[in-house]
Amino acid sequence: MLLRLVISTLHRAAGSGDQPWVLPPLLALHAYPHFQGQIHAEQQQNNYLPAPTQLSQDQLEAEERIRTQKSYSTALVASRKEPPPYGHRKGWVPRAFEDFGDGGAFPEIHVAQFPLEMGRKKKTSNALAVQVDAEGKIKYDAIARQGQAKDKVIYSKYTDLLPKEVLNEDASGLQKPDEEAVEELTEKTRAALQKQVSQKIAAAMPVRAADKLAPAQYIRYTPSQQGVAFNSGAKQRVIRMVEMQKDPMEPPRFKINKKIPRGPPSPPAPVMHSPSRKMTVKEQQEWKIPPCISNWKNAKGYTIPLDKRLAADGRGLQTVHINENFAKLAEALYIADRKAREAVEMRAQVEKKIAQKEKEKKEEKLRDLAQKAREQRAGIKNQHDKGDEDAEAGERDMIRHDKRKERQHNRNISRAAPDKRSKLQRDQDRDISELIALGKPNPRISNEAQYDQRLFNQNKGMDSGFAGGEDETYNVYDQPFHGARDMASNIYRPSKNIDKDTYADDFDSLMRHNSGFMFGMIFGRLKVEHGLLRTKSSLVPIMDRGEKARSSLRRILSVWTNSWSRPSSTAAPKGRPPATAPKTTTMTRNAGRSESASHSTG
Amino acid sequence: LLQDVQKHSVHTLVFRSLKRTHDMFVADHAKAVALDDESHKLKLAVKLKADYSPVLHMPVLKEGKDRMSQYPDADDPEYLITGTHAYPSGPGVALTADTKVHRNPSESGIHSLALALPPSQLLLEGGGTRNSNLLRRTPVMPKPQWHPPWKLFRVISGHLGWVRSIAVEPGNQWFVTGSADRTIKIWDLASGKLKLSLTGHISTVRGVAVSSRSPYLFSCGEDKQVKCWDLEYNKVIRHYHGHLSAVYDLDLHPTIDVLMTCSRDATARVWDIRTKANVHTLTGHTNTVATVRCQAAEPQVITGSHDSTIRLWDLIAGKTRATLTNHKKSVRTLVMHPRQYTFASGSADNIKQWMFPDGNFIQNLSGHNAIINTLAVNSDGVLVSGADNGTIHMWDWRTGYNFQRIHAAVQPGSLDSESGIFACVFDHSESRLITAEADKTIKVYKEDETATEESHPVNWKPEILKRKRY
Repeated sequence: MLLRLVISTLHRAAGSGDQPWVLPPLLALHAYPHFQGQIHAEQQQNNYLPAPTQLSQDQLEAEERIRTQKSYSTALVASRKEPPPYGHRKGWVPRAFEDFGDGGAFPEIHVAQFPLEMGRKKKTSNALAVQVDAEGKIKYDAIARQGQAKDKVIYSKYTDLLPKEVLNEDASGLQKPDEEAVEELTEKTRAALQKQVSQKIAAAMPVRAADKLAPAQYIRYTPSQQGVAFNSGAKQRVIRMVEMQKDPMEPPRFKINKKIPRGPPSPPAPVMHSPSRKMTVKEQQEWKIPPCISNWKNAKGYTIPLDKRLAADGRGLQTVHINENFAKLAEALYIADRKAREAVEMRAQVEKKIAQKEKEKKEEKLRDLAQKAREQRAGIKNQHDKGDEDAEAGERDMIRHDKRKERQHNRNISRAAPDKRSKLQRDQDRDISELIALGKPNPRISNEAQYDQRLFNQNKGMDSGFAGGEDETYNVYDQPFHGARDMASNIYRPSKNIDKDTYADDFDSLMRHNSGFMFGMIFGRLKVEHGLLRTKSSLVPIMDRGEKARSSLRRILSVWTNSWSRPSSTAAPKGRPPATAPKTTTMTRNAGRSESASHSTG
Repeated sequence: LLQDVQKHSVHTLVFRSLKRTHDMFVADHAKAVALDDESHKLKLAVKLKADYSPVLHMPVLKEGKDRMSQYPDADDPEYLITGTHAYPSGPGVALTADTKVHRNPSESGIHSLALALPPSQLLLEGGGTRNSNLLRRTPVMPKPQWHPPWKLFRVISGHLGWVRSIAVEPGNQWFVTGSADRTIKIWDLASGKLKLSLTGHISTVRGVAVSSRSPYLFSCGEDKQVKCWDLEYNKVIRHYHGHLSAVYDLDLHPTIDVLMTCSRDATARVWDIRTKANVHTLTGHTNTVATVRCQAAEPQVITGSHDSTIRLWDLIAGKTRATLTNHKKSVRTLVMHPRQYTFASGSADNIKQWMFPDGNFIQNLSGHNAIINTLAVNSDGVLVSGADNGTIHMWDWRTGYNFQRIHAAVQPGSLDSESGIFACVFDHSESRLITAEADKTIKVYKEDETATEESHPVNWKPEILKRKRY
């Protein structure tokens, strides 16, 4: 065994040329030197001699050995399997096709059995059948072409990867196709695209011309059964075939709004490049992108090192440049400050001096007064002082009288009506300082927090919702804030005096006292000028049938005057009739509205 | 009785054993006589002549030799150590210095492996004849065409936000830019003066296009709106309503009155310009569709998406014609060659060139290690790629040679990080390159007239050919 190993090593060493071969001394055997000469001679000869066309016996044997090693699985073991005879079937399970021989299942073996593959589920293989080319070689690219269109170009060979040799500029393979071919292709493409476009557009067009019907066809029909009884006795019939008219507005018969699932993608093309290189550590590090650090946002609340924060700040990036105007401003401020201080000081000094003078003057005055008082003490009293004392005494008497009267009144009350007294006393305390306007919303300001009354006296709490868990009933805002009655009547009720502002008091009296005849006369007279009614203070369009209805005219007037009086009432002072000239301007502005008003009545 | 055995280290013991073995065999008389080289050679020569003279003239087959070195060892210099171990070590394999590094098979290793394996296992097309072709023809890079370098010519500042899109008018009198300040501005191409500002979008304007068939300007923005402006009245006359998310790019069909837009909702849509009808909705991408391009020949629409695929569409049926999955990162830009029947796609991993109509892979232009936002190509074969970090690379289209790299300074007042190219376009005379940048400016480049092939030589050697597959 060892010997053979050594020999094979030697063979290899000799075969691979003049490589020095060394054996470990422990393996070196006595037998080994005998080979040396022979091998060396062989090796030398190989260099000079042509390769033998016929192989010698031992070479043949060696090749045979190699071949058998290579073909590992081609050995045919032609042994026919049969079920073991009775009595030897303990633990034996028929599974393979041969286990059954020619017969059926073994009922005594309680295992699912499929004799002659009966009852076994069919397994379909998607393996391709072997295809060969004209020379009998196997087409290995069949698997790459599977499922692809016939005309598709698929590269799968090694030679497709190799670079082509460098061709000259005018090589035939590099020339563009001639113009004719290009033109032909262009026409073909254009036609194909045009077809596509017309289809797509037709679907989007709102109106389509009805499809033209094909011309009627006439068919001569000769029945096979001839005779009087058949076919109404006619020998032949001419049938006119007409295409049925189509309704262009007919909705599509089939549902087309469903999305059709996309078909399977075409099989992938063979990859014609080497697998990508594994990433080196250096490249991985190059791809490491530092996280964005903001000084303003840190949504996840990470702890950011101080140096990173400073780096993100970008403060180190730009050099500090201070505008010289800052220095100028500081200087100017300093000077202004100093000047202001000086001025203040100066003013303070001046004030001090003035105060000094004032003080002296006051002292002088006091001295004068003291002098005067001294002189008076020496002189006689004035007349006016006596009258004053009488008045004071009278006043005191009055007060005394009042007090007495009040005491008497109280005494009477306490004596006469004890039940009335409480009411009076209660009324005494009543606060009637605030005037309560009835029927108006009372914006009472209270300091207490206001609670929704519905939340009280409920044993379930807030979760249960309003109205005891009834979500459906909505009663939060289902009532108006105030009863429609009060509010509407207060806000929209015309007050009596609105008209007074604009047309003095006598308007109503005028209306009341003048008869229809008067109206007609006045209107008729005024109709002459501009078609406008000029009353004492307003302009009104004239009706021919002025006497028709006094009340309707009153309504017109109010609509009319309301329409224009609002803006002018702010401009003109209230109570005084506005001048005529500004009113005509408002007239023109509201011309549209006046027309509509007159129209509604006329 | 028990003697104390002196304890030695394993190392000492091994050495002693080694020594003992040597002593044992050094005077071994049974050993064969050592081989004398000269005599051995003589013996071989004699033997060869005597026994094998009839076959000596025959050629030595390559296969016979190759078979020996089919599986290169770990020490093979062709194997590169690129990174850490991708997989855990298997059971019974100790984690040593040898096994803990992950080895990627090299290019030539894969080639040799691919060629050694039988064709049926490899899916090689064409069979064995093709193999030997591949093997024999070592790719040699042809000499790239010389292009004059480009230099910054003008900086136009006027937008108040990132400038996201550019289009040049077909008459070449003015160009139009759309910006993140929600405006579209029209500039005079010759003088760089502002001619007109159009407001109406309520978010970034991501795409603009001027029609050559009508006096219309089309714009799309992140507000999901696609607008059609009438440039005779400077008013919006149509809205194309339907996108469910931000609209990232748009293009006009050169010969048919349809408009393509692509959006963050992973669709591209085809609109009929006149009727505003959504003719097709091109679905299939699984992520944002970043760019859409249109041409008259087949395939009429190509889209690049953030799912790192490019799709070529059949406009007639509205279906995918081919899916190109070679990119590993999202495809943000596509550009079609003005003369050849090829196009290029820009992604963060590579710029790839493809052939029409089926999208056969041509080559990679690798070296622009940034997120490529935009590509432009002129008919001279100058490919420009602008990236998110503000770098612009200029390539020779045919050979993929990178002849210039530009990183323009940002306008004063902006941060360094605000340098980025969002869009670039050649004007119709192809003498100016206009770029829209993240520093709120529009920069105009022109060719350096003073440069010659001597002053700016092409750094090229015939044996250089580094091409990656992926």
